[in-house]
Order: sequence, then structure tokens, then C-alpha cells
Amino acid sequence: MPTSPVYLEDKLREVRESGRMEYRSRSLPTWCPGCGYFSIVDGLPGALNEAGIQPESTVVVSGIGCSSRFPFFVNTYGFHTLHGRVLPVATGIKTANEALTVIAVGGDGDGFAIGGGHLPHAARRNVDLTYLLFDNGIYGLTKGQTSPTSALGFRTSTSPYENADPPLNPLLMVLSYGATWVGQAYAGRPQQLEALIKQAIAHRGFSYLHILSPCVTFDKTDRTYQNLGMHVTEVPAAHDPGDLGAAMRLALQVQTPALGLYYRESRATMGDGLNALAEKAMGRGARQRAA
Amino acid sequence: MSGPRRHVIIGTGVAGNQAAHTLRQREPDGSISLLTLSALPFYNRYDLPKVFRGIHDWRGFLVDPPSHYEEQRIELRRCTRVVNVDAQRKVVVLAHNEELPYDTLLVASGGRAYLPEELSEFRDLLDGFSSFEQAMAVQRKLPQGGRVAILGGDMIGLDLARTLLDTGHRVVLFAGKFTFWPHTEPPDQRVKLLDVLERMGVQIVDAEGRGGIASIQAGAAGFATRRVVLGDGTEFPADVVLPSFGLVPSVEFMLGSGVAIERGLLVSPTLRTSDASIMAAGDVCQIWSDEHKRYRFYYGWKNVRSMGELAARNLTGEDEPFVPVQDESLHEHDGTVIHSPFWEYA
Amino acid sequence: MRTDVQIAICGSAGEGTIAAGDILRSALAAAGYRIISFDAYPAEIRGFGKCVARLRATTEQVYSLKEKSDVLVCLNDEYGIPQVGEVRDFGAVVYEAKSITTLAAGAHLSAHLRPAQIPYPVAIRELSERATGATRSRNLVALGFLAGLYGLGVDPFLRIIDAKFKNKGAIAEPNRKAFVAGQQAGSQAFKLDLVSFGQPSAGQKSTILSGNAAVVQGCLDAGIDTFFGYPITPATTIMERLAVEMPRRAKRLVQTEDEISAIAAVIGAGYTGARAATATSGPGLALMSEMLGLGTMAEVPCVIFVSQRGGPSTGIPTKTEQSDLNMAIYGSPGDAPRIVIAPTNVEGCYRCAGKAFEMAERYQSPVIVLLDLYLSNRYETVVMPAAPPFEVDGDRLASKKELGPGYRRFALTKDGVSPRALPGMVGGMHVVTGLEHNEMGRVNEQPDNHEAMSRKRHDKLLHALHHPDFTQVKRFGDEGRVAIGLLAWGSTFGECLAAMFRARTEGVRCAAMKVVMMSPFPVEAVAEFIDQCDVVLVPELNYQGQFAHLVQAQTGRTVRRYNRVIGAPMPVEEIQAQMRALLAGDERKAA
Repeated sequence: MPTSPVYLEDKLREVRESGRMEYRSRSLPTWCPGCGYFSIVDGLPGALNEAGIQPESTVVVSGIGCSSRFPFFVNTYGFHTLHGRVLPVATGIKTANEALTVIAVGGDGDGFAIGGGHLPHAARRNVDLTYLLFDNGIYGLTKGQTSPTSALGFRTSTSPYENADPPLNPLLMVLSYGATWVGQAYAGRPQQLEALIKQAIAHRGFSYLHILSPCVTFDKTDRTYQNLGMHVTEVPAAHDPGDLGAAMRLALQVQTPALGLYYRESRATMGDGLNALAEKAMGRGARQRAA
Repeated sequence: MSGPRRHVIIGTGVAGNQAAHTLRQREPDGSISLLTLSALPFYNRYDLPKVFRGIHDWRGFLVDPPSHYEEQRIELRRCTRVVNVDAQRKVVVLAHNEELPYDTLLVASGGRAYLPEELSEFRDLLDGFSSFEQAMAVQRKLPQGGRVAILGGDMIGLDLARTLLDTGHRVVLFAGKFTFWPHTEPPDQRVKLLDVLERMGVQIVDAEGRGGIASIQAGAAGFATRRVVLGDGTEFPADVVLPSFGLVPSVEFMLGSGVAIERGLLVSPTLRTSDASIMAAGDVCQIWSDEHKRYRFYYGWKNVRSMGELAARNLTGEDEPFVPVQDESLHEHDGTVIHSPFWEYA
Repeated sequence: MRTDVQIAICGSAGEGTIAAGDILRSALAAAGYRIISFDAYPAEIRGFGKCVARLRATTEQVYSLKEKSDVLVCLNDEYGIPQVGEVRDFGAVVYEAKSITTLAAGAHLSAHLRPAQIPYPVAIRELSERATGATRSRNLVALGFLAGLYGLGVDPFLRIIDAKFKNKGAIAEPNRKAFVAGQQAGSQAFKLDLVSFGQPSAGQKSTILSGNAAVVQGCLDAGIDTFFGYPITPATTIMERLAVEMPRRAKRLVQTEDEISAIAAVIGAGYTGARAATATSGPGLALMSEMLGLGTMAEVPCVIFVSQRGGPSTGIPTKTEQSDLNMAIYGSPGDAPRIVIAPTNVEGCYRCAGKAFEMAERYQSPVIVLLDLYLSNRYETVVMPAAPPFEVDGDRLASKKELGPGYRRFALTKDGVSPRALPGMVGGMHVVTGLEHNEMGRVNEQPDNHEAMSRKRHDKLLHALHHPDFTQVKRFGDEGRVAIGLLAWGSTFGECLAAMFRARTEGVRCAAMKVVMMSPFPVEAVAEFIDQCDVVLVPELNYQGQFAHLVQAQTGRTVRRYNRVIGAPMPVEEIQAQMRALLAGDERKAA
């Protein structure tokens, strides 16, 4: 909550001059009022703007779900794909044109249920893209079913008695898959969110930002602003982001989710690997032709 | 005995082929396996001189079309060599390592061209004329009007000589004790017959009288391909040299069977060997002759065919003795023509 | 003198049977003969299961293999014995003269030869041992024997043997020696069979290619930029060859974690304007069906090669079939049209592959190229064009005028194709989605819009029926009215052509039509053909008559079906028998 009064004209001038609005599309978001996703749709354009990445060189790719409506609300190239398939499509785009900045967005169901099989491969290959995972612990678009990150005991339309499946630990999984940038943010802290988005985009390699976000319509008991606000903490200042083990231990801290940078590594990207392959193939080919 | 019998016949010459067909007629259910070294189904050896009359396709020599064997359900095993017969287990052992059990075995492997010991070292320079492949090889080697040296001159070789002369080639006969084999004519008769041959166009060389055949030589390039050298030192050029010293029975593979063998397989007048399950027919066997009080060969196409038929009959219930169907006399007519029952075929 | 010799080599998977077939066809192709060749493999790997390598060498154009082979080379009696019946009368059978173990009666190959077949027992094992010290090179001894027996030039063989085993260490030299030993034995053998090789015609230089290799060449010549794939029989070799060739051209190939991610990546790449493709078979295509619908909806160019195999489900992975037509044309939720083309021979595989990229780009649509295992693995000699006959950039891009805030990615144009903006182009930002959308690309559920967009997506593809320099349908045989017509697709067309030629020599007026473009369907041309035939027979290798149904549904005419699911090419004589039955009016016999 801001501590000093903000004047509308000043704010509008600031926004106009910043150029951030270039990144917003004309379409108004279709999310429920109070949805955590709004902060993300503010954060991304801000991050792109500050990083100087042009809208025409940006492709936002999404799956299916509330979060996946995202591309419509930003003024970049966008691809709203199929449930669970955001990462392979994004990989195809980046592989075909390395000059593009590719942002993948999706929800917890999209990324960890149906799309779970694609995540290890995008991560281990270190595809140079940024994956913003909007985790609201529920399937909102289809009106409130259990997701792989829903809490044990949580009641939804498909688990009317209670959810009997313990949730996955997405951060732990992504760390183990070999992602080279892993962080966690919270929709209720929009400035930190925007800063982390910017870091994620700037990172050269597969960046995974896990964004905790409440579903105000279908989850009134578990992952609310109030509960989350009470339980989130910060990644300790002493945490070494180069220490994978430490990052994983941090990820185990599910009751008090830590916000910030968990892990960072510098490694050849998938594109680097493909370039090296071509060098090798062409070099060897030349030697054969000479032989 | 339960179930249909398994008959094995070794050799698809005149005797074996006839036996197979008669056997099939008399015993519809038995299995009949006809084994031969040849790659081709049955054809008459006496037809081979036709290669000099432009017949070069082996299909023109077959007596029955290939489908005939399938229709008659006679299993024809070609390129098959028998290495042993185990009469105890009643099994024929084949060179390619297969064992064929039999209930009855008919050995009709015939005879192969005999080569006297003293000429065996020149084997590689001689040509044969016993198979289609050999006949074609000779036909390809022999130039137009070329010269053929026939050593010995048995009736088979002399029959070939007739065709060679008729097709514009030259024939030199190196005569000796095998001339006119298997006939055994008195010397004066032989002289007359040799005259007839000479009048037919055969050049006669009295090899026996001139020290015998000492060697066969390969000619140098530009010279005749072969030379026949006699004991007296004289040399005769030729394009092809054919041994024609009669037949020797093919019995090697029977040596381990325990069956009685002299030069050929010894059989009773009903063509049975000393083993109850094994019979023999054709040029391979010597039949007991009460008249001559010894085992003897009966040559000639008609005799051999008759033996084949008889063997099949005796295998299927009969017990008839062999009666020769052709006489054995050789004579000349008018000083220009030779008659021999061994030149009578169908 | 005409040459038409079909040779079958039979042995177990570990005996170098396929390698022998490979060397033989390459050598004969190099010598100038036309070749059509198809091998049959077991699904298992080395040492188990029977293989038969089969090839037909001719001096004139032929379209199929023959039911009877002229020569059989048998490296293994157990497998060879059932093949003996395939050799014609007066053809040759080459086999091992002596067995290592004692065989029971009837277990040697010689027991199974028919009297009219010519036996060539050869001491193959012994020759291999004498030449190389091992029995491993028996396959080459046998090949050498054939070369010697038929007087085939030795040089092409030796060159190919050297090239083939160049990088395989110590086996090149022994293989050469084994071949030479066999050749000497063969030249000394007395040739009794009636098979002979005439002189090949000195014509244009041809290349011997398999269907999959032709697909690869088509992709490369069309300038493929990216390939994403997942291994599946019988499409894997496409990816394997591209994996070698594409990096050499600084192009990118990635093996993905499954077929879904493969097609997803292809569509992503297509969205950026790259020429992208994948290759799969029936089960993979099933997995791709949802994504293909997205490709149609988002109007993204992409190329999918599908080589059909025995189905349903996992089916029979190593046998051929033509049962994925329905799925190729229809498989996706909703009305999701796509272009489907099906080549009928190896040269067609090359052309369809290259043209697929042209069509995908021009009509902004997924294009499925439908092959089958027979075509994928079949080798034919092909005369390749001097220059690649493909357009390398047919993209209709948005002009500067069209770009800007009002840019409409899905503008309703006259021909249905909207100018495209590629990521990177200023003022072209737009979102593509699988949801129904308006011209701007914004989500729209309105009924008029849905109808207009549905019409756009369907109608724009109709132009593919006139895509230039491409054979959508073609008629062969007698002109005008005929007594009987054959209507077929894919590899089965070759057998139909052979049946048609034979029928014509018997005096029957008949014609055959191949349909290459399945979707959109060339209704007029096919209907016209059917109307000119008294009866039309549709032979295909599937149970349900998928193509026959398509023809009937699209044209409103009736055809007669002939369906076989034997896992092997349709036998020409069966097509002939069906034709005769139909011509005789025998309702019972015809399908």
C-alpha cells in the first residue's frame, strides 16, 4: 500500500512519458476484479520497457487458462496456444528466430498437470525464454477445479469432500530440471514482482518465475491475499543463488513461501548448442569435401 | 507296416525315371524321392549330340516337362549327391548333410565314363559328353568344322561321331580294345566294321598297335588346342579330346551299405540285392544269369528301361525275373552302315 | 534386349541380408538399370527374424514389384524354404550347398525346389572362410556369385562395397575378397536358368533413393529452416538424415520429448515465418491432432510428413497400410480443414515434400504429406531435376500500408489468404489464438463472424486445387469412355498401373486415375473420370475403404471397393482378378 498521496495527472504523465502504455493492448483484461494477474500485466510491460525490448520483437506465448489470456492484454506478438503446450510452442518460436524475446505464460494446471511433461525438457535444454507461471492453486477459467498445486484438503467443484492429493512442489521440480534462473514472486507485492520479471527476462537462458496469486472468485479459503500476505517471507540476504542445494531447501519451505531469487546459473543455451552443432557439422563437412 | 511307404530312387537316368513313373502308377500313396546329381530333370543322354544341331536350350531335351513331376507327386531332388547308405537304419546320407529314411531303396545310379588309369593324369585336358552341361561346353569350344579326337570308341562315342560328321566336323578315332564296347566282336569282324567307319568319314588311328596313347598335351597359343601323343611318338592335333572307354558303375556310395558288390551291385534275376530293402537297376547292376552262370551287365537303352519298370513292379508285389529285350549283336550292312542294338532308343 | 529381373535375398536379420540388397541395388543402379526395391524386415533387431531384400532391375519404366521373383538367394535355409515358391519357373535359386549340422529329411532347401526351378548350390560358407577367415561375409560371396553368373560388371560392386564399409574398420577388405571369391565361382558355374541381364540403356543419370530419402531431399531443396520430430517407425529415418544434413547448412533440427511438442514447436517456428516440418506415423499423428486444429485456426504454415503403417493403435509397426487417410483429412476437433497430399512413388515423395512448404506458406495452413511404409522404405531410381523446382519464399507478407494499429492479421480477402506479419515486423503485432476470432485476431463468439471465418478457412484452401506445377490428379490409360477404371492413391497406385497395363494387353479398355491431393478434394476431375467408366474399382490397403468413402461422399458417385490389410503391397494379380470379376458382372466375387 502506498504511503503518500498520488495525484492522478502526475501519475498519467508518468505513465505516458515512460512509454509503458505502448506495451498495453487496447483490450481490457477479462479477469475478475482483484485478481492477482493484474499486477503481472502491469509488471511485464514495465519490465520490457525498462529493458528497452521493443514490442515488435517480443512474443508472448500462453497456454489455456485465466492466465493464458495474457497475450491479448499486451501489445506484442502473441500466441495463445493449447492447454499445456506453451513451452514447446515457445521453444519453436525461439529456435526459429533467436532475435525474438520470448515470454511464456501459463497457470499451474497448464504448467504442471497437462503441461508437466514439457517442462523438464525446456529447462534442461536451457531454452532462452522466460516462463512466468501464475500459480493460483486452482483451475479458474473452468470455474474452480483442483489443480496440482491445490492444497491438501481444499474443497473444489471436483473435490467436493476434499482434495486428497498432496500438491506438487513446483520450485523444487524446476530446480531439479536444470533451469538456470529460478525465482518466486507474489502478486500482492507488485514492485518486487516487476523487478523479478525484469531480472528473469534479462537472464540469458531458461528463466522460471513462480508467481503466487490469489483467485478471488473461487478460492476464498486457502490462498487468499490475507493468508498469503501473512505467510510469505523473503529469500534470506545470505542465500547464495549459485547454491542449488540451498535453493532446493528454500523451495521446501512451503508453509512460508520465500520471495526472491532462488537460483541462478550461467550455462550455454539451447541456441548456443545448436550453433555449436552447426559449426561442428560444417567444419567436419568441409574436411570431408577436401578429403 | 503302417502308413504309406517311402521309396527312394538314386539316379534319374532311364532306369530310375521309368521306375519312378511305374511305381507311382502302381502305388498312388507312397512317397517317391528321385535323387540326382544333375541340375536338370530327366533327359536322354543319347540326345545330347543334338547340341550340334542348334538345340541349345535344355528344355528341348527334357523327356517330361517339369510340371510332370509335380503332377505325379514325385519329389525330384537335384544337385544331390549320396555319400553313404546306412542299410541298418535304412537311411540315405546326402553330401549336404541331410539324412533321408527309406522303406525301399532302388539304386539306379548308372555308370559314368571310364578313364583308364594311365590317362588319369590328363583328366583336366579331356572333355566329357555325359551331361547337358558337358555337351554344351564341347559345342562352345568346337570351332566350325573342328576336329574331335575320340579315344577308345565305345558305342556311345561312335554314336556321337555320326552326328559330328553329319554336322561338318572331323572325327579321329584312336581305336583299341574299347572300340565298339560293349560289343565283343571277333577280330575279323572288327576289321570290317572299322572299314565301314572309315567309309563313313572317321579317320581311324590304330592306337593300340602304335604303342597306345602316351599322353594328351595342351597346345600352345596359335596351335591346335590339344594334341594326342601315341606311344610311337606320333602326334595328332585336335580341338577336343573325348574319352570313350565304356562305362564303370557308380557304386562308391554303396560301399558302406554291406550290399554285395563286384564291379557293379550284384542282384538276383528279380533285381534284388543282398539286402531285402534294396534293389538295383540299369548300368549299375550285374544280374545273375543262369545261362552264363555268372553275374553280368545288360547294357542298352531298352534293357535299362525294362529293368526300371521291372524293379518298380517287383517293389509293388510282383516277383518277376529280368528278361533281356534287346540282342547284343553288332553287324554291318552293305559295307556302309553299322547296326547296333545300343543305337536303338525309343 | 529388355531386362526385367527381380532378385530376392533372404536370410536372418543378422546375416547382412539387407546390406546385400543395398549393395546390389546400388550397383545395378550405378550400372544404369532402373530399380524398384522393397525390403521386408522383422521388428526385432540383430539375429532374429527373417528379412527379405527384394529388387527389380529393368531397362524400361515399371511401377511395382512382380509377384514372382526371377532369382532367390538364400542365406538361411529355415527362412529361405518358405520363399522358394516365389521364384518363377526357370528362375534361379542360389543356396548354401552344405549344412553345418545334420538335417532331418526335408530340412534342406533342395527338398523344396520345384522341378522347373534351377538350383545353384554354392559352398558359400566355405568360400567366405577361405577368402576372409570367417563366415561373416557370406552375403557378399552370394552377391559375387550372382555377378559372376550373370556376367554383371564388377566395378560398380567393388566401388560400392568400398564406400559402404569405408568407415567400418577391418571388414572392408574381407568383404571385397569375399565378393571376388563368389564372383569367380559364379563365372565358372554353368548357367542353366533363363534369367538374363541385357545392356542398360545409356540414359540420363539417375539417383537411387528411398521414399524417405526423397522426402529429405525435397525438404532440403525447399529450404527447410527447422525440423522438430520424435522417433517412430517408419518415419524415423527422415529425422535421422535431416539430423546430418541440416546442421551442415546451419539449419536447426531438434528431437523433442514427444509428438505433441514436436508439432507445437513446428507451429511456433511457422509462426515466425520459418519453414518448419515434422515427420511421424499414425499414432504420432493422433497425438498431433489437437495442435493441427490450432494450426488451421491460427492460419500458421506447417508441414507434417506422415508415413502410414499397420494399425489400429500400435498396430504392426513394420508393415505397410493406408489406414490413416481419415485422420489426416479430418483428425481435429471441429471443422478443421488442412491440405493433404499423397504421393504415389519416390519421385512424388520428393516433389510433394518441396511443394508442401510452398503450399503451407501460400495458403497459411498445415499441410500433411501422406506416405506409407512401402513408399518410405522403397527404393527407386529417380532422375533428379537439374535445379530444385521449388519456390523458396511464397509468403504473402503485410505491406507497410497494411501494418500499424489497424493491422488485421485475419483480414477477409478475396482469396481468403490474409497478409501476414511476422514477429519482428514493426506495426504488425497481433495475437493468434485457437479461439474463434475476428479479423483483428481478437476473441469473438458472434455467429456471423464464426460463419465468415469458417468460410475463409475452408475456401482459401480450394486454391490449392490449382496450385501451379503440381499434379493434383492424373489419368492414365485409354482416353474417353472405358469399360473399367481404377481409382487409387499412395503406393497402391503403382500396382494399379501394372494391372491396368496388363488388362489393356488383354484387350480391355481401361484407365487408371491417381489422386494426389486428398484435401481439398478434386471433385470435378474425379467425378468426370467416374462418369466415363462403366465401373470403377478402388483398391486400397485398409479395411474400411477410407478413400472409397471419401470419393463417394465428395462426388456423389458409387464405386466398388477392394480392401486388403495384408501388411504388404496389394498383389497386382488380385487387382486383375477383381477387374475381371467386375467386367464379367460377377457380383459375388467383387467386393
